[in-house]
Amino acid sequence: MPIIVRIDVQLARRKMSVGEFAERVGLTPANVAVLKNGRAKAVRFSTLDAMCRVLDCQPGDLLEWTED
Amino acid sequence: MQIQRWAVLLLRVSLVTLFVVLLLLQTFSFPGQFAFMAQQHPQSAHLRWPLTFVFAFWILCAQVVLFAIWKLLALIGANRIFTSVSMTWVDVIVRAIAAAWIILAGVLLYVGLHADDPGLPLLLFTWFIGVTVLGLLMIVMRALLRQATALQTDMDEVI
Repeated sequence: MPIIVRIDVQLARRKMSVGEFAERVGLTPANVAVLKNGRAKAVRFSTLDAMCRVLDCQPGDLLEWTED
Repeated sequence: MQIQRWAVLLLRVSLVTLFVVLLLLQTFSFPGQFAFMAQQHPQSAHLRWPLTFVFAFWILCAQVVLFAIWKLLALIGANRIFTSVSMTWVDVIVRAIAAAWIILAGVLLYVGLHADDPGLPLLLFTWFIGVTVLGLLMIVMRALLRQATALQTDMDEVI
């Protein structure tokens, strides 16, 4: 999948732990792991909204497209 | 949701009632009926056991369908209808209807070739069409279930 989820960069910028992030966004830690490992097949806009709100960033800061 | 719950409950009561009635027909009513017919019409006595077995088999098919519906209702109750488990029970229903259909086709052919008035063949033909429609409908619904299950599986992967 050429879409990469860059949560770790934003988490490092905010100095937020994965556990706190998962709790504040309302995701299970397992699903956060799926997002971080690039195994996610699809993300809801509501999830994206919550992630942007918690990390105070834009969707473009979280998602990156690369050539295969 | 409330209406669905009531419908499921009533359906369960009806399924049990129907199952018990079919069991009574299968074990007491039809065998007795055919034994009586063999006494009354000795010229047709040779049909007693074939008829008993055919009717017992048809009722068995209906019972299998009822049981599979019961299982599917349990899956609906557990919110697991769009999983591969339900496909198994839908397959059971389709196969039971197919088995009854094949025997019905055979009986229709036999009666059609030996009949001297059109009443019974026409009645059997109506049944035959009815069972055909039921079977085809189940095949269409099976395809719908497969689509919905695939969609649900995709949706479950959305984070």
